[in-house]
Formats: sequence, structure tokens, C-alpha cells
Amino acid sequence: MTLPSATLLAQSALSGLFVGALYGLIGLGLGLSWGLLRTINLAHFAFTFAAAYLCYQLVTSTGIDPLLTLAVIAPLFFALGCALHWLVQRFDVSPLNSLLLTFGVTAIIEAGIQALWSADFRRLESHYAQARFKLGALFVPVPELITLVVALALSLAIWALLKHTDLGKALRAAAIDAPIAAAFGVNQRALSLLLAGTCAALAAVAGVCLSLSFTLAPSQIYAWVGVVFAAVMMGGLGSALGPLAAGIVIGVSEALTMAITAPSWAPIVSFTLLIALLLLRPGRA
Amino acid sequence: MLLRVTDLEVAYGPAPALWGVSLAVRAGELLSVVGPNGAGKSTLINTLAGLLRARAGTIEFDGHDITRLPAHRFCAAGIALVPEGRRLFATMSVRENLELGSLLAHARAQRARSLEHAAALFPVLRQKLGAPAGALSGGQQQMVAIARALMARPKLLLLDEPSLGLSPLVVQDLFAAIRRIGADGITMLLVEQNVATALQIAQRAYVLEQGRIVAEGDPESMLSRAEVRRAYLGSEP
Amino acid sequence: MKQPAVVTLLAGGALLALVPWLHLPAFYESILYLVLHWVLLATSWNILSGYSGYFSFGHGAFFGAGVYTTAVLAGKFDWPFLATLPMAAAVAAVLGLALGAVVFRVRGVRGEVFALLTLAVTFVLATIVLNTPIDGGPGIYLSGVQVPRLAPTQPGTFYLLALAGAVGALLVAHVVQRSRLGVGLFAIHDDEDAAEVMGVPTYRYKLVALAISCALAGLAGGVHALFISYVTTGEVFSITVPLTVILMSVLGGTRHWAGPAVGATAITLLLYAFTKGDLALAGKATTGAVLIAAILFMPQGIVPWLLSLRRAAAPAAADAAPRETVQAPMPASTPRGEALLRATALTKSFVGVQALAGVDIEVRRGEILGLIGPNGSGKSTFINVVSGHHAATSGAITFEGREIARLAAHRIAHAGIARTYQIPRPFAHLSVRDNVAAAAMFGGAALSASRARAEADHWLAFTGLAVKADALPDALNLHQRKFLELARALASRPRLVLLDEVLCGLNPAEIDDAVALIRRIRDAGTTVVFVEHVMRAVMALSDRLVVLDHGQLLAVGPAAEVMQRRDVVDAYLGTAHAAAGH
Repeated sequence: MTLPSATLLAQSALSGLFVGALYGLIGLGLGLSWGLLRTINLAHFAFTFAAAYLCYQLVTSTGIDPLLTLAVIAPLFFALGCALHWLVQRFDVSPLNSLLLTFGVTAIIEAGIQALWSADFRRLESHYAQARFKLGALFVPVPELITLVVALALSLAIWALLKHTDLGKALRAAAIDAPIAAAFGVNQRALSLLLAGTCAALAAVAGVCLSLSFTLAPSQIYAWVGVVFAAVMMGGLGSALGPLAAGIVIGVSEALTMAITAPSWAPIVSFTLLIALLLLRPGRA
Repeated sequence: MLLRVTDLEVAYGPAPALWGVSLAVRAGELLSVVGPNGAGKSTLINTLAGLLRARAGTIEFDGHDITRLPAHRFCAAGIALVPEGRRLFATMSVRENLELGSLLAHARAQRARSLEHAAALFPVLRQKLGAPAGALSGGQQQMVAIARALMARPKLLLLDEPSLGLSPLVVQDLFAAIRRIGADGITMLLVEQNVATALQIAQRAYVLEQGRIVAEGDPESMLSRAEVRRAYLGSEP
Repeated sequence: MKQPAVVTLLAGGALLALVPWLHLPAFYESILYLVLHWVLLATSWNILSGYSGYFSFGHGAFFGAGVYTTAVLAGKFDWPFLATLPMAAAVAAVLGLALGAVVFRVRGVRGEVFALLTLAVTFVLATIVLNTPIDGGPGIYLSGVQVPRLAPTQPGTFYLLALAGAVGALLVAHVVQRSRLGVGLFAIHDDEDAAEVMGVPTYRYKLVALAISCALAGLAGGVHALFISYVTTGEVFSITVPLTVILMSVLGGTRHWAGPAVGATAITLLLYAFTKGDLALAGKATTGAVLIAAILFMPQGIVPWLLSLRRAAAPAAADAAPRETVQAPMPASTPRGEALLRATALTKSFVGVQALAGVDIEVRRGEILGLIGPNGSGKSTFINVVSGHHAATSGAITFEGREIARLAAHRIAHAGIARTYQIPRPFAHLSVRDNVAAAAMFGGAALSASRARAEADHWLAFTGLAVKADALPDALNLHQRKFLELARALASRPRLVLLDEVLCGLNPAEIDDAVALIRRIRDAGTTVVFVEHVMRAVMALSDRLVVLDHGQLLAVGPAAEVMQRRDVVDAYLGTAHAAAGH
């Protein structure tokens, strides 16, 4: 196998960075939900895709800027996330059962997407889609750059919130011992709904970013599950910066593998890395 | 009367754990509730802290009826809990645990002062502020638990078996600290297995057995009362 | 003596085998094949993951290994189809064993970590298969492979093969559940560390369960390869396989051998009931809705819910074995008064903390040795190291002359050492009786299942828990749970029992009971080491006392003497006790 040029490698690494940022952005809400709400929310992926499709539809019908659709989409999904978590709380669903419950929700959403938009591929056409600029020898596509910036900004914001604000500490405490947190004034039920809504809104943001760069199809929902779960677990449940960092590591290693060998070998590097990490330091997850 | 409990009934499922329990706590006093294992002491404290819901009866605190309040409002009413077994947020730092005690507005405003006061009460915690709470020894964790409750600037402090699992020397230090807290004027309700210490430190005491109050009065005379001996020692020696 | 379930399974299987001769349309025969295919897959998954709690997300890898084994052998090397099936099972089993041998050795691999590991393995395997000559990219065509004529039609043949596999899997699952392996797996599910210390050979049992699970999955794969007749990595190793089997098993109930079968049947029929009418989407949505309803209203699964409906007064299968008189513990080779256990220069370090710093402790046969000291002095660590819960950092421990410091915990249990936990750790899903019976089965006594239950009843009577025998541990209060710990420790008939703060939380009357109990245990021939803070009990019980402080030995000797020593009083008791003249 011949080693490609430095430029090609750098370009590959860059594209890996971008797709990794998207892994991290999708994983952000998933990891927070798993770590702080004890809910393994498979529907997170369905929310992401549903938001992507909605964005596509709004842009195609009204021609507005894709990012502006968030003004409508984010609150909608916030409400959906709250509603779903309300159900989980009301019936006291265990973490494992939440995986199954949300699997059911995913099936319903997937069926709904296919009913509305058919199984055909859909591609969002916007003035961003082909926009790119040159940075030295490298091409930087604008939609991917936007995704990276959004992912960084949101991850940092959530990290700061969790670490330094009373709200963040209350959330973390409620995840550790909800009754005692309540004894000190933490309204765990209300906070959980707030957090669940936020995680769903984060999924929606990820979905809009996804629609900027990727072709949509209902069958694609599950394609992301494996690699995003990997990013979340590598990064640490309930961590704000972890999934992004892990996502980028996975994205870059995938891209480099693709450039050096064949695209179809890509998963092996990231997953072998993950296996090694899990075996050497299993306590991290 | 700071706290007045009338005919309280608390149940787990069908079986009542407490019934017909009435007691009163005067502002500024230290009240001990003693009783055998399974008597309902923890049930009582947890209900007063809002963790459990009463099936019948009333809890009147500082002039307000708080019986039906949701759990997270008890702290705002002025009641703070030192739970059985400490129940610190183990993966969070000691400082964060203390900050979590003072989430509510009036406590938050005084956070820095309360922290200083806690460090004065338990000097060993000063070096441990950054450590994860779970890494501390049992005695130190108990100190953090008490300090956390004090951070809430409560009117009533509930202590659930603070000496549980601690060695005699540590228990001594702990109760010395509790005496100092009492001297500052904070009202306390203490539930304890360690009968001698619980009665030694209190101004008044109740005896709880099988979910009901069986005796009430001043601590010195408690130990000689037949009900107490029977409840604790099984039979007349 | 056949179990009713086995007879029903075999009879049912024989009956169902007649279906191909009903000459149903191929569509229905295919649906029935699929139902049985998923029954086989889900049941095989449950044998490891449901019983032991090690939720595998990698069932697709073993299924895929089976698919590709048959595809390659039959499609590329012209093996007869039926001959490839045992190979498919074998390859999958070997893959599983290789994975388990590595993964189960690593201590922290539980729960989510194991789930993710198995998921990752699936992706790695799929990539390897795709990129090497095994598949190479275009997939493998099996249209040229001859389908054996076991039934009038081709779908019928697949149906029969899947039926055989499904019935076989159900039989295996049933047998495992009722065997020692099953009890061990359920114990591992609830508390693996406690199970290991109690005597369950956890590593071995997990490997066996994994191997069985993989072999059956490989078999399902082998049959399925020919059924779909065109095999690609994308289809075979997709994430829907593991997700679906988890879904089916949890829906049906993971703690019961028939659970996954019920879930698989329900889901498959639901999904395909709609395919006919062009309502595939509605079908998918309805499956989702049904799943949601089931999780909300039957969280334990369908089978347990059904069983709870017809819960009669009669408890689970009563044993015919008569109550045996309990013998004393196995005669020790060490005469009374001689050293039974000797720890030499024992050290245990954790990150940043030296819990034990080179202690020398001797336990004499027939004595009650009290172990006291301030918090953090190393008392619980000593018990943890001796029982094998933690490995010693350095030093030696001999028990009856035998070196045990580097032994696996379950072997230490077999040697005759048992312990209680300061915070009781009962197996939450086993009844009180079964908790104690498990100890009798796996500990030093190593009794059979039926004798173990009789033994359990004896110890429950001894500790006053007989009336709670059928209850679950969470129905007990703290005092009863501590005594359950005690009963469990004693049921393995140990020569040495290590009690970790058994009296904590008890009132004086209960303490007196416990003290009397401990004396009777010693009088029956078991040596006792106990850690306590309750000085009354310590003074009343101990023949000798060992005082630890900051991981080091501070004092050792007869109780009364030790308690008079100035350094002991200073370190541990404080002035109040000294003044009171204890």
C-alpha cells in the first residue's frame, strides 16, 4: 500500500475532524441523557434524523436559511424530549428498559419519516452546500466547518454549565442521589424534564448540521448508532467534552485509515482502538 | 414550638411503620428520639425531611403546615437533613457537596460565611475541600454531611444515626461538635442507636417502639424507665 | 424422571414437525421459519446475557460467523449444506471462547463496557470479513448450493431445521436454568463479586454460557445463510440483529428460559402480519407502540407477568429430600489451639493508600478472635484480602498449611473460608432460602441442589429467618439482612468464618442474641474472626483481640489485657472509655 501525499493525508484528517465533530455533537445529548438521566435514549438518533428531514422540508418549501429553521425545530424537539422523559419518569422505567422503550419510539418515528418522505434519498440544497474556502493547501467546506464550530461551542457551554453553575451541580447531584438532592432543594423531576428537553434540542441541532452535509434516508438512522455509542462511551457518560474529543479521535482515525488503505477498512481502526481502551481502562466508562 | 407533629401515620405499602406519633420540638433545644432497630426512627426522620409522605396526621413547622409539601420544598421551609449513612455525593468534591447544601436563595447569599463556619467547626475539612467526598474516612464523611446540612442555614437540623459505623474516639469528637452546634442555638432532632450518648446530649427525649411513642420526658430519668429498658435490653436484667 | 417442561417441549416439537405436510403456501412457511429462527437467536442470547446480566451487543458477530462459515464452505468449497452446520456452530463457539478468555479476565468489564466491547467486536469482524477473501466485497451467492430434501418444499426444509434448532435451544436454556450453572449465573447477575467470594467459579461459568450461546447463534446463522441464499456483510452484521434479540428477550422476560421465545414469536408475528397487506410502515409503527406499552405495563417481561397472574398458593417445586441433620464443619486437620490461618507481612495498597502495611496475624483454631481499630485501620481490608475479594499486594497467607494469598476467591471459599459483608449483599432476585442454598451449593460444602435447600432451611431456622424463607431480600429489615449474611456464610460449612460488623445497627437486645449465636457457631466447630465497634460484644465474645491502627498491628493478646494498654486506649477508645474503666 502506497502512502498518499502529505496534503492528501492532511485533507483526510481534516475531513475526519469534521465528521468526528458531528459524531460528538450527536453524542453530546445521548451521553448527557445516559449519564445524568439514566436513560439510554435510542430515539436520540430518530430525533436527529427527524430534525434533519424537517429542516430539509422547511428549506425546500420556504427557501429560508437552514440554520434559521432551528428557531422552530429546536423548541419543538425540546417539547418532544420533555414529553418522552415525562413518560419515563411516570412509569419509573429502568435504564435497560429505557433502551427498549426508545427503540419503540424510534420505530414509530422511522415509520413516520418513511411515510412522509418515502425511502428515497433526499439532499438539502442550500447556498452553503458547495461553499468552501482554501486554507493553505487544504479545502475547508463551510457546512462542515459550521458543524465543528457548533459542536465546540455547545460542548464547551454545557461543560461550563455542569462544572461551574449551581444548576449543573444540582443536575449532577440529582443523578447520584435524587432523594438527598431533593432534601436540599433540588427539584429533580423538573430538572430532569429540562435536561431531557435540552438533550432532544441538542439532537435537533445535530440533525440540522447533518442535513447540511449528508444525504438523508430512513435507513441511515441506524448507520450512526454504533459509532456514536462508541464516542459516548469512550468519552464518558455524562461528560460534556468527552464525546466530542472521542468523536474526533474516531473520525480522524477512520479518515486516515480510509486514505491509507481502502475506505472499507475504516471502522477497524476506531473500533480496535475502542476495544483496546475498554480492556486497558474499563473503569473509565 | 418550632415543630409540632400530630398523630402522624406513615406506611410502607399496606403495613404502617408509624402510627399515632405526636411530638413537639421547642426552638433551640436538642431532642433525642431513641428506640430499637425497626422502631421507625429513620421513618420518622425521613418523613420530617420530606423524603416520605405521611398517610395521615399533620406536621406543623414554624407556624406552617408542611405535611403535603413536595420533597424539595422542605429545605426551603427551614429543615435540613443529615441522612443515615451520610449519603454524600461521593464523586463530587467536598466543596461541591457543601455548596449543594446551600442552593436556596437565602443560604446561597451567605455561602462564603457558612463555609468558613463549617471549616471552623471541623478543621480537618479545610485540607480536604478539593478531594472527592467518597475518598474521606467514615468520620470525616460524617462531618461533611453535618456541614452540608448547616450550609442550608436551617432552623431545624435532623440527624439520623450519626454515630453509625464509627469508632468510639471519632464518635466522641462528633458529639462534641454537635454540642457546639447546639450552643449556637440551632434546634436539633437526633435519632440514635447509641442510647447513652443520645440521652446525655439531649434536653428532652422520646422513646419510639414499634412505630409508636411509648415514653417522653427528661433524659436522666429515661434510662431507668421500664419501657426503655424493655425496648432496648429485651428483658429486665 | 422427566420434567413436565421437557416433555412439553419435545411433544410440541414433534407436533410442529408435521406442519410442512400441511402444504401451506410458501409465504406462511417462511414466516414460521422466521419465527423459529428468532426464537433460536433470542434464546441463545439469553443464556449468557439474560441469566448472567452480561448484556452482549455482539450477538450479530457470532450469528455472522455462522452465516459466513456456511456460505464459504458451501458456496466456495462445495461442502454439503448439512455438514457445514456443525462447523458454523463450532466456529462461532471458538470465536466466543477466544473473546471471553480475554474479556472476562479483565475485572472492570461489566455492564455498559461489555455491551460496547461486544458491539465493537461485531464491527471489527464485519470489516475483516468484508476486506479479506472471506467475502471480499461482492458477497457470496449460495443459489448453487443444494437444499436437502427434508420436507416437501424448500421453505418447509428450512422450517424443520429452524424448528430443531429452536427446540434444542429451549431445552438447553431450560436445563441450564435449573442446573448449578444456572444458579451460578443468576448469582453472578445479582452480585458477581459476592458470588465469586462465595465459591461460584465465575470465569468458568461465564465462558461456558458464552460458548453455548455462540454455538447456537452460529447454528442459526448457518441455516439462515442458505435461506437468504445471498450473503453480504452489510446485511448480516447490521446492528438490527443484536438490537432485535435484546428486544425480544427483554420483552418476553430474561430470567425465564421461555421468555425470549415468547418475545420472539410476538415481535416476529407482529412485524410480518403487516407485510402482506402493504402496510409495512404501519406494522413497524405498531410494533413500536406494542413495545412501548409492554415496557410501561409489564417491565419484567411477558412470561413473568403471566406467571404472576396464576401464582397459586403452592411455592416453587417443593423438594422431596427429607431434612437432614446438619453435621459439624468438615473436620479440620489442625488441632484446636494451633494456628489455623497465618498472615505474614501482609500488605495491601490501593491508589495512594496503604490499607495494610505488613501485618502479621495468627488465627488459632477454635477461638473467637476480635479485630478492632479505628476507621481506616485496615480491618475490612484484612477480611477482603483473606477471603480473596482483593488480591494482596505482598505477603503470605496460609490456611491449614496451604498458601492461599494468590488463589482465586472461589477456591478460597472451597478451602473452607466464608465471610459476611458489612453492608449486606444478598442476591436481590433470589429468595432468602435460595440465597443461603447457593452458598451451600458453591461453598466448601459443595452440596447438590436439593440437599442445599434442606441445608438452607436449617441455617434459616438457626438464625431465626425461617418464616422469611420465600421472601426476597428487600423485604427484610437491616437486622434480618445481617442475619441472612450470617446464614449464607454458615451454609457453606466453613472452618473459618470472617464477620464484618455483623452487629452494626442492632440494639442491645438484638446484640445479645447475636453474641449467643456467634458462641454457638464457635462451639459447633467453626473458628470465628470478627470485626466490631460495639465494645460490649467485643469484650463478651473475644478470646483474643487484635488491634489495628493505620494498617499496622498495634496490639494482640487476651481481650482484658489489650484493653488496658495505654496506646490502645489513646488510639481507639478515647478518654471517656478510659475514665469509665472499660
